[in-house]
Amino acid sequence: MFFASPSKLKKAGIVGMNKRNVVMIAQNNPRKLYPLVDDKLKTKVILEKDGISAPKLLGVIKTQGNVRELEAFLETCPPFVIKPARGSGGKGILVIGGRAGKDFLKPGGGRVTIQDVKRHASNTLSGLFSLGGNNDVAMIEEMVEFSDAFDGFSYQGVPDIRVIVYKGYPVMAMTRLSTEDSDGKANLHQGAVGVGIDVGTGKALKAVQFGRPVTHHPDTGKDLSTFSVPDWPAFTELAARCFEITGLGYLGVDIVLDKAKGPMILELNARPGLAIQIANGYGIQPRVDLIDRECLKDRTPLERARFAMETFSVAGDESGVALEGRGEG
Amino acid sequence: MKQRIQIITIIVVLIVLGAGAAIYKHKTLGFPFLPGKKEVAWTVEATISFTADGGPVEVSVNTPDPNDTVAVLDRKSLAEGYTFERKEGRAVWSSPDASGSQKIFFRSTAYRRSEKERGVPKPIAPAAAIAFSGPQKVAADHIVEAARKKEASSVGLAGAILAALNDPVNEDASLLLADAEEYGGNVNLACGLMNRAGVTSRSVKGLKLTESKKKQKLKSYIEIQDGQQIQLINPRTAELENRDDFLEWQHDTESILEIMGGTGGVISFSTLSGEISAQGAALKHGKYSGSKLIDFSIYSLPISQQNTFKLLLLIPIGALIIVILRNLVGIQTSGTFMPILIALVFLQVNLLAGLSLFILIVGIGLVLRSYLSSLNLLLVPRISAVLVFVIIIYVAISVISIKMGIEAGLRVTFFPMIIISWTIERMSVLWEEEGPKDVFVQGGGSLLSASIIFLAMKNPYIGHLAYSFPELLLVVLAVIIMIGSYSGYRLTELRRFEPLSRGE
Repeated sequence: MFFASPSKLKKAGIVGMNKRNVVMIAQNNPRKLYPLVDDKLKTKVILEKDGISAPKLLGVIKTQGNVRELEAFLETCPPFVIKPARGSGGKGILVIGGRAGKDFLKPGGGRVTIQDVKRHASNTLSGLFSLGGNNDVAMIEEMVEFSDAFDGFSYQGVPDIRVIVYKGYPVMAMTRLSTEDSDGKANLHQGAVGVGIDVGTGKALKAVQFGRPVTHHPDTGKDLSTFSVPDWPAFTELAARCFEITGLGYLGVDIVLDKAKGPMILELNARPGLAIQIANGYGIQPRVDLIDRECLKDRTPLERARFAMETFSVAGDESGVALEGRGEG
Repeated sequence: MKQRIQIITIIVVLIVLGAGAAIYKHKTLGFPFLPGKKEVAWTVEATISFTADGGPVEVSVNTPDPNDTVAVLDRKSLAEGYTFERKEGRAVWSSPDASGSQKIFFRSTAYRRSEKERGVPKPIAPAAAIAFSGPQKVAADHIVEAARKKEASSVGLAGAILAALNDPVNEDASLLLADAEEYGGNVNLACGLMNRAGVTSRSVKGLKLTESKKKQKLKSYIEIQDGQQIQLINPRTAELENRDDFLEWQHDTESILEIMGGTGGVISFSTLSGEISAQGAALKHGKYSGSKLIDFSIYSLPISQQNTFKLLLLIPIGALIIVILRNLVGIQTSGTFMPILIALVFLQVNLLAGLSLFILIVGIGLVLRSYLSSLNLLLVPRISAVLVFVIIIYVAISVISIKMGIEAGLRVTFFPMIIISWTIERMSVLWEEEGPKDVFVQGGGSLLSASIIFLAMKNPYIGHLAYSFPELLLVVLAVIIMIGSYSGYRLTELRRFEPLSRGE
């Protein structure tokens, strides 16, 4: 069958774009809250205020004057990342892993002079990397010392974990692994591998590339079923805590794993996409319905994370229908 | 839930209002739902020129009379410095002070009535009988008697009398024609003879509309009553003429042009044929006038503005198609309303030429733009540079196509430059960020949408409905709102999520 019948999709609990926009986003995410997540600097501030783990903000370059002070500032800096506060699609991110005399070193080994860094900051300020071309500010963040738990799972870079948080409950999770097809980008429709992660255990459920199931990473050959997130309960709790600080009822939380500091919030997204359903092999609707019934009870983020882990675990239980039944029982 | 009820209420109200007004217009006012036949319409322009004496001037011209076969619609006057009014079937211009050579234009639109519209013509009032005396009386009786012997029908009698008068060797005719001036001219003389033979007739002056040319003069014809019908005879050939395209300007003894305060008045006519819809004609003729719905509608606007609205009213149709394609089908387009603008260009350029020109411009633009990427320019200078590229591409395409003898290339200028520039910019960014596949998906989606919108806008039925029933816009609005609150699957999602439906 080339097309699925709508009733079948509905039965499988799949949420479509229209439903995401009209129901999930429009009813749960008040527009006035968007700037909190669209501006990464604001996100940073609210995360810090609540003591939620995130890469440390070392400084902000707001004016061209700041650019001139950059050289002195970076003199004593630990490895850092410069990124635009309102960037899109990962554009304009400069990672500096170390120094070689006066020059800076990229993780891949490339050399960058202080002039290059300054020009990058200056370009960011004038909006070269922001979507609408508006003026922007550049953030200097501490570089994440990625854990080696995910080594070999990605063609380039280190994967992050995307958790969908609905009304404070982590309902679904996945990771996106870049491939040669995706040109090193972690974008599913360009050919990155999407791996659904069991909310209960943090282990891989299923992997898809271009919508078709795969068992091994096409470039590294790594067995994808062995993908497992260490310290998973900490991930779910971290994701659940983002609900209180943003107020967004339908939220995408991107988490990275630091070698020493554990999971950290990298980014928040007020309009998370629907490909996560394909990566998981389940529709998100039954879980959303369950939370809608459950939501009234006042719970702490930890309680919500625990509840989600118990309720949405599908390990050893292959049917999404049973899941729905359990919720009602 | 409350919101849902609100939306449903709005939709119901909009549909009831829109469809109700449309049905009312159709049932009560007789607006057809389907586009009607095109009728031929003529624009007749009378040019009056004279020399003013340098004082108050009053010019009065007899205006054409609508009859049972030809209707006269709007009458417009173009005369600088004159006040225009219509008095008892005459157009009157007056000016308190005018001197030197003057020109006044008077334009009327005439169209042929459809079979249905024609009623029984008003019987004609016969011309005043001519009292012949002496030898003229004998000659007249001769002609009438000879005609009566040959023909019995009124048309035949009239023809025979005219034939006699036109016969150069007929002595009776020569006698009468010698004194024709006394009887008011040859044509009046012929009418007098016909009346004497018992054929009701009168002389008329007018224009044959089918003889479309500049600088015409009014010509004399004779109308005769033939039972219920009226026939038109050309006195010069004694043959019947078609009344369908005869615009009667003057009958009996009405004067055509009267000028007070001026000399050397000349009136000449030019006719131009065009097409109008039967409905438009009927409308202008005042068939529907008096209804508030019409008085406060698009039809109250001047013709040129109406034409603008003809296009404007189609744009919501384009928006509706975009909404359907994006939210129900799930087609991606580059820029939300860009396909509508491209479709408007296609209307001017034609589909195939439009598609190829679009692909050509955007293709060259993308190549040039890819060079700009490596320069790392800021947004506004970058898009401005793209705009300059676009202009250069326009010029190049126009010049090259003219040199190659392809006229279609010139139409490249119909493409809106700013929109094209932004399209190139957006597609270029898309190419860098997402790869060429997305560019083709979005570009193809845009062109497909533009083509569908073009076909819809070009459709005579949709065009007719949009223009004749603007209230249907409310229905379009209702459908758009309805789709706006639709939370079901898109057609493309049935494909996208298809693997998920198999698992269970």
